[in-house]
Amino acid sequence: MKHHYWEAPIVIYLFLGGLGGGIFFLSALFDLIITPGAGPLFFAPVFFALAALALGCFFLVFELGQPPVFWRVFTTKTAIIKWGAVLLSVAMIFGFVWWASYLYVLGWEWTFGLAAALEGIRPIMLGIAGIAGFGIMVYTGVMLSTLKAHAFWATPALPVLFTVSALSTACAAIALSLGGAVDVNVIGAVVAELIHEIVHVVDIVLVVAEITVLLIMVLSFYGAGNVTAQAVAKRWVRGKTAPLFWGGMIFGGLVLPLLLYILAAGSAGSEILAPILVLCGGLLLRYLCVYSDERAPIPGEERFYERLPKKDAAFLTAWTKGKNLY
Amino acid sequence: MTRYVMVVDQSRCIGCQSCTVACRTWNDLPLDIIYNPVVSEGTKGTFPDVYRTWTPTQCMHCANPECVPCCPTGASQQDDDGTVWVDYEKCMGCKVCVNACPYGMRDVSHMVPRFDQYVRKCTFCRSRRAQDPAAEPYCVATCHQRARIFGDIDDPESEVSKLINTNYTERIFTELGTDPQIYYIPEMGGGAR
Ligand code: SF4
Ligand code: SF4
Ligand code: SF4
Repeated sequence: MKHHYWEAPIVIYLFLGGLGGGIFFLSALFDLIITPGAGPLFFAPVFFALAALALGCFFLVFELGQPPVFWRVFTTKTAIIKWGAVLLSVAMIFGFVWWASYLYVLGWEWTFGLAAALEGIRPIMLGIAGIAGFGIMVYTGVMLSTLKAHAFWATPALPVLFTVSALSTACAAIALSLGGAVDVNVIGAVVAELIHEIVHVVDIVLVVAEITVLLIMVLSFYGAGNVTAQAVAKRWVRGKTAPLFWGGMIFGGLVLPLLLYILAAGSAGSEILAPILVLCGGLLLRYLCVYSDERAPIPGEERFYERLPKKDAAFLTAWTKGKNLY
Repeated sequence: MTRYVMVVDQSRCIGCQSCTVACRTWNDLPLDIIYNPVVSEGTKGTFPDVYRTWTPTQCMHCANPECVPCCPTGASQQDDDGTVWVDYEKCMGCKVCVNACPYGMRDVSHMVPRFDQYVRKCTFCRSRRAQDPAAEPYCVATCHQRARIFGDIDDPESEVSKLINTNYTERIFTELGTDPQIYYIPEMGGGAR
């Protein structure tokens, strides 16, 4: 009997949380510092960030044992996941106000007044959403790394890895959606080109960094981890997860997009296929990590659980007369 | 102050699992939840010199529990007497604590309605003790070998204090800093006391 640890909804939540947080952080960096005034170009990326965070929250709530009372997450001071929920809420609320102030780019007349009213507070809105977004990226990794019962998660390398991956997927999403839904004028096109160039180079650096951190983490567990972490690393490096790790994660999610970014710059391979691969790699990374939840067993524990009848074993059903009791 | 702990005398345990069944009965547990499995690594040695030891387990009611500070709702909590328990009315089933416990001693049942799952764990029979302060946890009351002994470690006259002071005891995974409060008197040969 395996314990009911986290499953697929948390994989998606961690991926979308990092992605949305990363887009907010990078949008704030560009709009407030690097290319001031590029706001409208980030109308579409920020929309995707909002959608990613909203969908991520949906999956988080769906994984709860009792979704209708999800608001209880805010009721204590200390818990890390409470801080995650606060950061998500802040990023979504402030990000939404910023995004709503640019609704006029869609040409809807009723939004012109809204844009005029919100214009003055745009920088502060995006600034706060950007900082919260940075917090979310780091938090997705910290949440797992504080759970020292799971040896493979309990390493400072994991938050670093998740943060780098979140930034990298955010670059990919921005590359795919920058300037979307907006009628870009000549100056806008020049700025958009500049941002594309920067995001392109930055994502190359991030993908290289991610390959480095990932390999350092997995291979050091493989060589010198404690028994439990080492067993997981062995499964990744040459066990049943190896095809997914080497073929899917390292090659498909990192090396191939890196090659496309560098060797096919300017082509559809670099501008469309590579970012999509980076996004898929980000999701796969969360999947591989969340399902590496092995815990050191108490000696004899595994043998005990292996010998239990499965919950639907015929004799149990007959014995309990279909009721959920001994 | 009162600080409840349990001493488990492995030289007395015969692995009958009566305590496990008693616990299920008292706590009315669904089939996929077991609070106190009695585990063993199996028979060791070479025939005819063979032996087997049993390790009755349960929540360690850690003095420094991993499962309490991580709970975002305050449902997972610790009484002044050391009992770690979950308030089912507050739990939202996020499973952070399930992931946090290094001993695998809490879980949600998947045999209850999908959106009514909360975390369950051993409470040192908090509800029994509330009914009758002198009552022992049901596993302790059931153990015919007196392999499980419950009591207040802060009382020097208690049986647990005397056992801990006069025997070599071990605790599980102390290196994690959880300060577990189940003390094992290991089987070291020589038969039962
Ligand atoms: S009831 Fe006592 S002897 Fe039987 S398994 Fe439990 S602790 Fe061991
Ligand atoms: S054994 Fe696990 S559930 Fe029990 S107090 Fe310690 S950390 Fe919490
Ligand atoms: S599952 Fe329940 S008891 Fe455990 S951390 Fe979440 S709210 Fe707290």
